[in-house]
Amino acid sequence: MCDQTFMAATFGPCDSCGKTGPLMNIYIKNEPVNYCSFCVEVMAYRGLQKGETLETLRQESDTLKKKLEEERGKLNDVELHQVAEKIEVVGALSIKTRRVLKGHGNKVLCMDWCKDKRRLVSSSQDGKVIVWDGFTLNKENGVSLPCTWVMACAYAPSGCAVALGDGLDNKCSVIPLSLDKNENLATKKKSVAMHTNYVSGCTFTSSDMQILTSSGDGSCALWDVESGQLLQSFHGHTADVLSLDLSPSETGNTFVSGGCDKKSCVWDMRSGQNIQTFENHESDINCVKYYPSGDAFASASDDATCRLYDLRADREVAIYQKDSIIFGASSVDFSLSGRLLFAGYNDYSINVWDVLKVTRVSILFGHENRISRVCVSPDGTALCSASWDHTLRIWA
Amino acid sequence: MLKEMSGKMCSSSNSVVQAQKLVDQLRVEANMERIKISLTAADLVKYCQDHRRSDPLLTGIAASSNPYKDKKSCVLL
Repeated sequence: MCDQTFMAATFGPCDSCGKTGPLMNIYIKNEPVNYCSFCVEVMAYRGLQKGETLETLRQESDTLKKKLEEERGKLNDVELHQVAEKIEVVGALSIKTRRVLKGHGNKVLCMDWCKDKRRLVSSSQDGKVIVWDGFTLNKENGVSLPCTWVMACAYAPSGCAVALGDGLDNKCSVIPLSLDKNENLATKKKSVAMHTNYVSGCTFTSSDMQILTSSGDGSCALWDVESGQLLQSFHGHTADVLSLDLSPSETGNTFVSGGCDKKSCVWDMRSGQNIQTFENHESDINCVKYYPSGDAFASASDDATCRLYDLRADREVAIYQKDSIIFGASSVDFSLSGRLLFAGYNDYSINVWDVLKVTRVSILFGHENRISRVCVSPDGTALCSASWDHTLRIWA
Repeated sequence: MLKEMSGKMCSSSNSVVQAQKLVDQLRVEANMERIKISLTAADLVKYCQDHRRSDPLLTGIAASSNPYKDKKSCVLL
């Protein structure tokens, strides 16, 4: 749980009061200064416009929130499933377990596909990271990082490296993959990101050169892999950020994040600005994923629902729920066309939802413990699920 | 007043910085241009329909072209 967090790049004596501590880098009349958070607060208080008090600011934020509700309500002229009434129903799916990947010694926390559509990387609570060939079940590479929980892993777009998010070390590191199975990859691990709490999610951006991370410290950050430099930080969440996803749209420079504050936020990567916020879930948001066109995104939450948000209408447009589903949803992913939404739950099952008609199409059983992650392969031929039962399954 | 603030720094309800940030954020969000759902939902449906044939999990593809499905094995007599 984070309180007043900020990315403290400097530590030292405050320019105003002289006390030593973590400093905020701010600008006063275009001059950069380093103030401790208390002095920033005092300055903000003095900087209030005439007649403004904390009370008036609170009132203004309440009126703005009401206005936002009204504006969003005006657009709700029809429901998504009504627009989708005319299209044909999804036929019976013949999705079954085709591969079971065994090899991890503890809960598998995360997995990611490689762009070559056959390799995947998975990470687990015992610090093991394995790169598999999905077709042959061959374990191509393995790294052991004994003193850590690898909570997040991501494949680089080139397929030549993987990024790992640390639950205990609070770092995100990049490991270059080698063709030599015997090479000890742990020694080549390069730390890139540093947070002040666990790293919950990580992803490369369009190239191997930048990584985006989300953390339990309530922030997200963009890093340069080569230098380890922080390029942009994103603040706005008031609790742990559990998941993030990059926009698939080519012109989009945005990403969405979701966390324990029940909010999901859309961010502009260049400016660090929070563009849109959605507060509909009743509990922690465990996973967020963009719709393939980039115009919408889905979120999975501990409140046992998954929801679809339309970015251009700026509101929630569908809730995927059933009275019989009472366990939290941990992960979601869309099929290639966006028609199907695969959601992994804490009751060990994966529900397949018809995104447009807002109905459940199928349930995939097989895992013997909670699902931690579901991910559709880049060409859409298969779904991979990672579970606390120490295995991964490939469904097709 | 100042002493009070230092103790309650971390609570968002009393912090001026937090309140100012919230108001600024809400102002940005309130000014966003929004489109009616009848239009945006139609676009979502259109995207699905346009891409449904190239969605293997939706339509199912033959075992011969799906590397994960078991192919009928040949038996050498």
